[in-house]
Amino acid sequence: MDSIFFYRNLEIVAPKDGHLQGVKIAIQPNISVAGWPTEAGSKALLNFKAIEDATIVQRLRQAGAFVCGSTHMSEFGFGLAGSKAGEALRRQAADVELVLDLMGESRLAALHAAACGFKPSYGLVSQFGLIGLIPSMECCGLLSRNLKNIREILQTIAGPDELDFSIPDEEIPNFSPQEIDPQKTTIGFITEPQNELSNDKEAIFRYSVDELKKAGFSLREMSLPDFSLFSLVHKIVGSVEASSCAGRYDSVRYGPRALGTKNWNDMYLLSRGAAFGLLLKSYLFQGAFFQFENYGAYENACRIRARLLTDMQLLLSQADFLVFPIDNGATSGASELLADTYNQFASTVFANVTGQPALYLPPVSGAAHLGFQLAGPRLSDARLLAVGEYLLNMRNGGK
Amino acid sequence: MLFSQRVFCGQITPDDVGRKVLLGGWVDAFRDHGGLLFIHLRDRSGIMQIVFSPEVASADLCQRAASLHAEYCIAVTGEVKKRLAGTENPNIETGNIELMATELTVLSESDTLPFTVSEKAMVPATVDRSADKVAEDLRLQYRYLDIRRPSMRDNLMARHRIFQCVREFLDSKGFLEIETPVLTSSTPEGARDYLVPSRLHPHNFYALPQSPQLFKQLLMIGGMERYFQIARCFRDEDLRPNRQPEFTQLDIEASFIDEEFIYELVEELTVKMFAVVGIKLSRPFARITYADAMDTTGSDRPDLRFGLRFVDVTDVFYQTNYSIFRQILQRGGYIKGINIKGQSEMLSKNVLQNEYAKEIAPSFGAKGMTWMRSEGGKLESNIVQFFSNQELEALRKKFDVADGDVLIMIADPSYAIVTSALGQLRLHLANRLSLIPANSFFPVWITEFPLFEATDEGAVTSSHHPFTAPDRIDFDPKNIEELLMLRSRAYDLVMNGEELGGGSIRINDRNLQRKIFAALGLTEEETREKFGFFLRAFDFGAPPHGGLALGMDRTVSMILQTPSIREVIAFPKNRSAACPLTGAPSAVKREQLAELRLLNLGAQDLLLGTAQKGNRIDHLSWVSRIGISAKERPVMEQILTQAEELVLLATQKAGKEEPIRNVAPVTNHTRPGTEEKRSALSQTGQLLKSAPAVKGNYYKVASILE
Repeated sequence: MDSIFFYRNLEIVAPKDGHLQGVKIAIQPNISVAGWPTEAGSKALLNFKAIEDATIVQRLRQAGAFVCGSTHMSEFGFGLAGSKAGEALRRQAADVELVLDLMGESRLAALHAAACGFKPSYGLVSQFGLIGLIPSMECCGLLSRNLKNIREILQTIAGPDELDFSIPDEEIPNFSPQEIDPQKTTIGFITEPQNELSNDKEAIFRYSVDELKKAGFSLREMSLPDFSLFSLVHKIVGSVEASSCAGRYDSVRYGPRALGTKNWNDMYLLSRGAAFGLLLKSYLFQGAFFQFENYGAYENACRIRARLLTDMQLLLSQADFLVFPIDNGATSGASELLADTYNQFASTVFANVTGQPALYLPPVSGAAHLGFQLAGPRLSDARLLAVGEYLLNMRNGGK
Repeated sequence: MLFSQRVFCGQITPDDVGRKVLLGGWVDAFRDHGGLLFIHLRDRSGIMQIVFSPEVASADLCQRAASLHAEYCIAVTGEVKKRLAGTENPNIETGNIELMATELTVLSESDTLPFTVSEKAMVPATVDRSADKVAEDLRLQYRYLDIRRPSMRDNLMARHRIFQCVREFLDSKGFLEIETPVLTSSTPEGARDYLVPSRLHPHNFYALPQSPQLFKQLLMIGGMERYFQIARCFRDEDLRPNRQPEFTQLDIEASFIDEEFIYELVEELTVKMFAVVGIKLSRPFARITYADAMDTTGSDRPDLRFGLRFVDVTDVFYQTNYSIFRQILQRGGYIKGINIKGQSEMLSKNVLQNEYAKEIAPSFGAKGMTWMRSEGGKLESNIVQFFSNQELEALRKKFDVADGDVLIMIADPSYAIVTSALGQLRLHLANRLSLIPANSFFPVWITEFPLFEATDEGAVTSSHHPFTAPDRIDFDPKNIEELLMLRSRAYDLVMNGEELGGGSIRINDRNLQRKIFAALGLTEEETREKFGFFLRAFDFGAPPHGGLALGMDRTVSMILQTPSIREVIAFPKNRSAACPLTGAPSAVKREQLAELRLLNLGAQDLLLGTAQKGNRIDHLSWVSRIGISAKERPVMEQILTQAEELVLLATQKAGKEEPIRNVAPVTNHTRPGTEEKRSALSQTGQLLKSAPAVKGNYYKVASILE
């Protein structure tokens, strides 16, 4: 079992009071816990030990949760190559996993673990103490078999943090249990993502939509012609942000330094050349191309992002939630090629571009489909989870 | 009034009271006393207070004056008045008078300034030199504003006056100012050349002169007798704090002279240059041989404003039982020390052992440092018990020790390490103990340099350049040991630890010159190839001659006591050898390179397009500072191809929307608390714990230079 964990918390901690008492949480080594090796899956942080607790860790422990270790992750959480996300749930080593979501990693990992995966609204959870890569798109996703766990953890960790200046001043959703009236809840489904699916997968998705219909929700067919541009925006904006974000890995404050460099330019060039794996290096290199040679493309991508955001808001003014298929792509393995990685996440990347919350629900046990994603407007996290809880409840023969 | 009638602000005196004058300049400062407006008008000569009073000026004029801002360029007419008693401003020279404005023309407006230009307070108060705190690159980017500041203006004016003084003096001594070319070929100075590609001769280059050395000697052969030039010289050297890639050198050469002529001339000139700003230097300047300078200060440009001379105590320890010294002496080593008189209170055991012996001396290249303090008639130290009474007594005598003295000693098998480490300790201690008297100048000639230095390959190379005359001519050019004993007829002028200039008496006998080349191991053919045209000139009756070059930027900086030479240069390069104002050095168009045939120099014929892509990978790898291995290159090429497609798609699909960079509303947060404080993690050293290299309380990085 040890191969799941990058670091295991072997200290015996007396259970604390609090509503999360006894909940075992596995994190990833991009989340700082004082004294824990925190390499974020990269050689650029080899042997780096966190010196402070991340705000979310501090809040989780305060609420009585037990942070049981960190699982192997891909380099800076980008893609799932080398990642063990979801394994701790699958092997029942943890009740909840926190998984960095840059383009859908937490939802695909949940699919793999046949558990629920939730990517909260952008800006809802403190990033303090979290090592990231794409500041305007990433957030800490949550995996659990049980949506109540996810809801209660969000209740604990969401909200302003005076150490995280990036959190907007907004009203935090109320995560107490809420009633859902399916008759009064419209769920839209967009045709374009389905066009990208193979025939059998499309049929599978129809099956998901049927489940929603049976549960009593009103379904509405909608269109978002530019759906394929989410990937484009993510590729350009994400790589530019990553390139600039990874500038800090310069072998001065942390990380290994190449030996025998003559001057500091050499030191940067060689140390950074040795620090990044091929996939990440490709991504940073692509980002550098836009930054230094074609900044206009980045600006254009930001324009398209603005349009996509408006389109999404328009759709969500006509429906309460949207249902999306999920597809783990043609190559679900660990490809080191950037194009393959993006193909793998084509169905999930939209929520990172818009910052909206997205919930992955696994299929009814035994069913041959992949499950689906539900997404709502930014900060609708509590209601979205409530819809999810309602559906799971229905599956269990509830009302 | 016409501009021809304009007078300068700084030239108006109380004698002008009642005169109507026209002034032109810049608004330096501005004060509004409700109806009564005061401005400081500044031109190159000084500052004049202008008053816009409703009693004298029309309402329209007052209104226009109220809309003035800092650094507007204006012309003002008015009458000179004496200031009311009690309103004088001692900060400016015209502080007893003011101008009652009757006319105002705004000649041109100014944008908001990147930094404050004004240095003179309008009311009696401390002088505001806020520009001194401005980042230097910002000052250099807006140098034209920076030199409006009176302190920079004063520097440039003083520089001008010093240069004028040089020209007048040398003219009076019969020197001709003659210009030499800037586009020339490589000269035998030590540094790298700046090269200028020739378009008409593809793949050939001019070199910018590192000094006019060869030309000035040719001028002597040409019978010009006495020459000088204020020459711009160029050296492509690694960055050092007080160096510029181009610098101004006063170049002097004279025929039928010897060293004494140069000493006399340059001393007189130096005294005159310093006198420009009222600094008196006494003559004759001290002279010290290179060997003495190294022996007693560890430097060939010694700072002699303070003592702390070395004492050689090698012989004291020939019989010592102290094993470290014994081993060093067995290997033919040296032990030298300094008596820091009366400083034992400032240099505690802790400071000497933990700072100097453990940190500072090793950072200067010494393997260790021995220290002793004299207290109650006894020498004390952590190792004093290893020395015999005779040794301690001999030390007391050699160092002339009194109570309160501190001795430091460096022992090492290498003379160079002993003198270099002790020399740096000497400077470190002098600064730390404030032993350097302020406003003092100690010029000294360094003489009798070695003619040759040994190379790693067991041969010799010129210490100066191969045209420097040796002190004697009867040497054997094959005998390396003898060559290394030769002294040159070179001299350096050093002041306060800085080399202001140097020169030598040159060789004028072609046979002697051949002998020197032979000593350097150059064949006839090699010398012809390297210096052919120059040596040919010596075949036509070269007169005895010699000269000197003074670094004028450094000299002016010393005279004005500025913190860096950039303060006395109108448009200097910054510490990275770049010009923030013009952006030089900058990339050039491919077409320009193509025209100069500088593309694909030495490259094989490559498939069309691959060279460009290869270059792009190198370029991106460099700008993003990510090394790309040969194995990774094909992947990066693919990435570039894909990225090009993304560019096309993004261009096609983008509309006119405002680009967004954040999906959540941006709010500005401030950390709670108002006091500055150090992070607790930094105080406990935690922050440094993950660093690959640390020195003291800092992250350690590779040096900027090679």
